[in-house]
Amino acid sequence: MTVTTSTQDNLSATAHLSFDRERQSVAGPTVAGKGGFSDYSIESRFRDEMFHDDGTLRTVAERLGTALNNATPEQLMQLQDGVRRQFLHEGITFTVIGKEEVTEQIIPIDCVPRVLTASEWDHIDQGLRQRLRAINLFLKDIYHEGWSLRDGIVPYELVLGCPQYRMEMLGTKVPHDIYVSVCGTDIVRTRDGFAVLEDNLRVPSGVSYMLACRAAIKQAMPRLYRAHNVREVLPYPGQLYSQLASLVTWTQSPRIAVLTPGRYNSAYYEHAFLAGEMGAELVEGRDLVVHDGLVYMRTVTGLKKVDVIYRRVDDDFLDPVTFRNDSLLGVPGLFHAYRVGNVVIANAPGTGVADDKALYAYVPDLIRYFLSEEPILSNVETYLCRTTEGLTYTLENLDKLVVKEVGGSGGYGMLVGPHASAKEKKDFAERLRTDPANFISQPTLALSRAPCFIDGKVVPRHVDVRPFVLQGRKETWIAPGGLCRVALRQGSLVVNSSQGGGCKDLWIINEEERNS
Amino acid sequence: MLARAAGDFYWMGRYFERAEHTARLLDYHLAHLVDTPADVLARGWQLLYAALAQPPPISPTETGDAEAFLVPDAFALAAHLIEDTENPDAIIQSWTKARDNAKQLRPWLPVRVWTCLNDGFLWLRDCDFTEYWAQGPNRLPAGVVDRLRHLSGVIEARMSRDNAWRFLELGRFVERLQLQTALLRAWSNPSNKNSRVWAGLLEVCAAYEAYCRTCSMVIQPRQALAFLIANPEVSRSLSFATRSVQVLLSDIDPAGGRYPRRAPHRRALRLAGAIETNLHASAEITDTQDFLGDFAEECRTLHDLIIAEYIDYPLEQGLPS
Repeated sequence: MTVTTSTQDNLSATAHLSFDRERQSVAGPTVAGKGGFSDYSIESRFRDEMFHDDGTLRTVAERLGTALNNATPEQLMQLQDGVRRQFLHEGITFTVIGKEEVTEQIIPIDCVPRVLTASEWDHIDQGLRQRLRAINLFLKDIYHEGWSLRDGIVPYELVLGCPQYRMEMLGTKVPHDIYVSVCGTDIVRTRDGFAVLEDNLRVPSGVSYMLACRAAIKQAMPRLYRAHNVREVLPYPGQLYSQLASLVTWTQSPRIAVLTPGRYNSAYYEHAFLAGEMGAELVEGRDLVVHDGLVYMRTVTGLKKVDVIYRRVDDDFLDPVTFRNDSLLGVPGLFHAYRVGNVVIANAPGTGVADDKALYAYVPDLIRYFLSEEPILSNVETYLCRTTEGLTYTLENLDKLVVKEVGGSGGYGMLVGPHASAKEKKDFAERLRTDPANFISQPTLALSRAPCFIDGKVVPRHVDVRPFVLQGRKETWIAPGGLCRVALRQGSLVVNSSQGGGCKDLWIINEEERNS
Repeated sequence: MLARAAGDFYWMGRYFERAEHTARLLDYHLAHLVDTPADVLARGWQLLYAALAQPPPISPTETGDAEAFLVPDAFALAAHLIEDTENPDAIIQSWTKARDNAKQLRPWLPVRVWTCLNDGFLWLRDCDFTEYWAQGPNRLPAGVVDRLRHLSGVIEARMSRDNAWRFLELGRFVERLQLQTALLRAWSNPSNKNSRVWAGLLEVCAAYEAYCRTCSMVIQPRQALAFLIANPEVSRSLSFATRSVQVLLSDIDPAGGRYPRRAPHRRALRLAGAIETNLHASAEITDTQDFLGDFAEECRTLHDLIIAEYIDYPLEQGLPS
């Protein structure tokens, strides 16, 4: 099999060639064969997203794997450079706030897409819908009747003691009982299958990078992309607009504003991107004012009423009158306008209680309690350090566990036991003993690995995926794909972009269409 | 349109105009390093810094007026105006600030405009000034002017003529009014009689050919000054910029030609009136200098009125009745 093409999309040309069984065995149990995969190794303890354990390509990845294997290092380099340059020129960045300065960094993007079959994705899709239904019912319950607390499904102290629990939301009528309109759930895959790692219900971010990855990959390998019949994620902004607009009852054409903390926020690019794509206004707290229980924004032609606020500001900073009185990011009186039903805030204040890492352990029970169904997606085994048994187990097995703060995010405030030094473990043990309720622990997962092009070679790296779920008045929409995050450092399990992680495109491929 | 976004467009326009103005002045000045007598060159640097209302990094009083601005210093002076991050009005700083404004305007800004602006910023940030200097002292400022003109073309082609575009243009023309006034004021010194320096002014303002066609091949300082103040067909004249501001403010004003007009519009009308009056009354160059001093003050007031009227107005003023 030879590849002779002079088109810029050289990789895609290879996709049209028949797959050679001999060449298919590019990756042996330890080291792959030739071409792009000449330095690729497979370890049996990690599931590889592209290869079987015997080194043959998975059916869903045949075309892509063949194309990569046939590509020269120069072609791969050109491809990687192309997608990276597109990110650079379009300024697809995140902000890192250091001790002394604020720097703007380009999100590292990898040019090799991760592939999943449609049936694998449909399983995730169903699981996410089920999970979000249960979480919305749970949130309504804890701010109204509290049956799940009375029935002992979740301990009182876990909910009422959670810093994200908002007394102010007690009895507040939330439009259509939808507390969580936008959810980003982190899903990992191990040898045992898919599992939910955590739910992000407050201000989940990353969707713009998902869309940017897709746009960059489409441009870099158009024919290969086209040959795969990949499910499309680009309708996301339009869907977000529709789902948010569906929550308003008083007008057919609501004015939607994206509330951002400002340009120094790490996800500012995303806020601006979503506002632009939705045709919404990108506002800061200082652009809004509440008058007579109505929310207005300051335009060049006077004040205009706002109907929906898609907030990317934490609860604490939303309204200095109701929450933190030193907040300069919020809008005085906003919560009052929300309570009287004159504005929709998405996600609702107080949803953070359900993405607390300790409460996460109870989500399967909540699904059984509220929906009378078995969870479709399983949780990762979690030990609550607030319990004596959980704390003891965690302290005794610190070198094997990942320990996280219950309210932490971004990969900060956690200990990865197998990779931590003796001093780090000692310090963390001290913190655990001082404030055990603030921590949970989980086994160190053997996250699946996918091929990535790093330093001129295709090598395996650990990945997870964050799909985005949108909940409107009548329907739930899930982008068929998600932000696939990659731990770019060899052996690392931390995929957060602020800590050396990057992203890659995720292709959901419909097997029937592909075969046809 | 969101008032803060209008403010960002306005400032973005101002920063681009500022960067281009400095780059044009530098381009002209550095292109003539080779064949300009030392005293004219030194005078040119002094005028340039005076026109930019900046103190030069090398003080003429310490080393003697002319000596301080001779060719060996040109590199340092150009670097100070182009890439010195300590200088708030350096070209790189203006571009950085414009980009910061643009970052907040992504929802309103066409993607092409953003990528063009961002590419230009990355090019200027990463370019090696010494290397460019070796190719020709004016290569870098000329490159900046080219990139900014390319950006203007992309804006022209891609942006709708809505309030976003209007505020961007408004910022450019208000900045142009202030910069051109300062430039003409610096030149309108009675001792500044060298016709070559005046030709340089017309060249920098892209008005040399027009002047020769309309007036004379012989450059008369007073006539050149009047030409750059009152000729409505020269894009860098005060008259042209004032007229542009008037048109933009009329389009922004939702009441559309109501009377009395909003305060910024009234002020722009007043500026236009002042130009006409000066055209007939000023006989001596010193009179023009006084006029330009008053005009600069009026331009600053115009800026304040625009901010107060459209961008940072009291909330009670904006409430629906």
